[in-house]
Amino acid sequence: MTTGCPQQTGGGPTCGWAQYRIGRFSLETEWEALPGQVLVIFGPSGAGKTTLLRAIAGLLWPSAGHIEIGGRVVFDAAGPLWLPPHQRRVGFLTQQYHLFPHLTVAGNIAYGLPRRNTPASRARVQELVQSFQLDGLENRRIGQISAGQQQRAALARAMAPNPAVLLLDEPFTSLDTQLRRALRAELRAAINHAQIPAIMVSHDIEEAISLGDQVQVIADGKTQAVGNPLEILGQPGQGRVARLVGVENLLSLRIVSRQPRDGTMLCAGANGLQLEVPLGGLEQPGDTVTVGIRASDIILSHQEPAGSSARNRLPGVVAGIELRPPGYEVALNCGGVVLKCHITGASLTEMGIAPSSNLWAVFKASSCFLVRESEPGGTMC
Amino acid sequence: MPDFRAANYGGTLGAATTALYVLFIGLPILALLIKAAQQDSFIGSLTSVTAFQALRLSLLTSLISILIVIAVGTPFARLLARSPSQLLRVIDHLVELPIILPPVVAGVALLMAFGRQGILGAPLSALGISLPFTTAAVIFAQIFVAAPFYIRAAKLGFQSVAPEYEDISQTLGLSPWATFRRLTLPLAGPSLLTGIALAWARAISEFGATIMFAGNLTGRTQTMPLAIMSALETGLDTAVALAVLLLVGALLVLIALGLITRRGRMAGL
Repeated sequence: MTTGCPQQTGGGPTCGWAQYRIGRFSLETEWEALPGQVLVIFGPSGAGKTTLLRAIAGLLWPSAGHIEIGGRVVFDAAGPLWLPPHQRRVGFLTQQYHLFPHLTVAGNIAYGLPRRNTPASRARVQELVQSFQLDGLENRRIGQISAGQQQRAALARAMAPNPAVLLLDEPFTSLDTQLRRALRAELRAAINHAQIPAIMVSHDIEEAISLGDQVQVIADGKTQAVGNPLEILGQPGQGRVARLVGVENLLSLRIVSRQPRDGTMLCAGANGLQLEVPLGGLEQPGDTVTVGIRASDIILSHQEPAGSSARNRLPGVVAGIELRPPGYEVALNCGGVVLKCHITGASLTEMGIAPSSNLWAVFKASSCFLVRESEPGGTMC
Repeated sequence: MPDFRAANYGGTLGAATTALYVLFIGLPILALLIKAAQQDSFIGSLTSVTAFQALRLSLLTSLISILIVIAVGTPFARLLARSPSQLLRVIDHLVELPIILPPVVAGVALLMAFGRQGILGAPLSALGISLPFTTAAVIFAQIFVAAPFYIRAAKLGFQSVAPEYEDISQTLGLSPWATFRRLTLPLAGPSLLTGIALAWARAISEFGATIMFAGNLTGRTQTMPLAIMSALETGLDTAVALAVLLLVGALLVLIALGLITRRGRMAGL
């Protein structure tokens, strides 16, 4: 581990590494967040996501590590240096918002301003009230506004004292889907406007992909993968991550031959099942590989599609149909291997899909991805 | 919508026991008020030298007691509310002992500690301090019996403030002390006021421990409850007048408690 952060342009880096142990739980990870960008910390509950946020905010004392916020060192175990939370300039947003019940909306927003009754601070409150669409609610009590308004008020309160980093602990969990999408856009705008990094804990894939510029997968207190959310969560190349994300189809296949010209490999499974998958770097014919396919990447068809570019076409029998909002999950038995496919309710009705229907599963070679079971390498900070 | 089950909350038995209880409590109180009204000069009895001295002493000692209880009890209650320490859990249970302990026992215990024959008696008298039968002893007795009422209410009040509120307040740039002043105190406020009212009421009515440890000296240790007992031996008038005064005080505390709870509820606390 290094003790410094790489140089960035403007603002200084927000990054660090921390080690924290309590009982049998341990967290050891490093991270880096860029100004104006959202780093999503993705992982199952109990993985240490919230612990990481609390370490950055100064709400707990890591046993080892080095933390910088906007280029300012706020914690260094070797120093030793530990700034208390009120000197760190962090905006902290919790799942339940924790708006102060004894204050009005305006009182909550003004709470973190150094001198509350000056014209400057009143102007700042008014500015935030407008940018978070809370006009007319200034004098309401917290119990008198909606969940979405509470979320905005909490965000406005966190942004008021101009934090150097925004920490978000599953801030959208208690909202409905539509509200989530609207508030994500507002959060994105606020971060862009302030040009500060945001670190958001989430276990929602859609949220991670739509809001995250980077995603860092944490499980068992360790970083499992870091990178582009679409790549990491859409086609996870690492076994632990693939299972966390819930990749619907994970097949164990044997490599038959490599076809470097096409950039593919021919793989075989049980009962003569054959798939074309993207070419791996190291795998050789005879090796066994795990191949992942997202259920939403598989097309169902009544006939074998002629003149299609999709390399994989498998005949099968419908083994089961399950409601999986917003659509359905069809389990197709392709000669002993069951593939899960997601389709809409309209397709299900139109095609008249029922148990024992004979169908073809069609998907591109590039929809298949190799999943490795090895530990990840690489560091950032 | 009418509540059709209303008649079934306890039936005849419920109604009868309710009436019996209200009579049982109400009759003596009514009798006290009637006796006071029948006096030739209620105000005269109240302003007699004995009554006046007792009133002044009660107000003075209970005020000092309650201030000491608040000063010591608040940080203590906050620690009790937050700390996971095992030792503090034990102390937490012991705090309530004086509530259950007979006040006379508290008086004897105080004598055994600070009395002339007590454990600290010799060292204290070496310093020229003699506590028993002084106004200070009255305050000692009041604090001993009244403090748990405040500490218990304050602890519950602090526990009702989720730690996340304090975390967020700190990330917003407020130091722990500023967080306590601007967040914890207002949120726990109704509970603290309730505790103050209960502890004050208990201090004012203190009798058993006071008579054991401080005695019954007019002007020095004779608080209102003691004065009522002494007055009963000479004539009813002063005793009744003082009793009515304490009754009115108790009613005021009751009303204040009701207002605190209602305001707390209205603020969504």
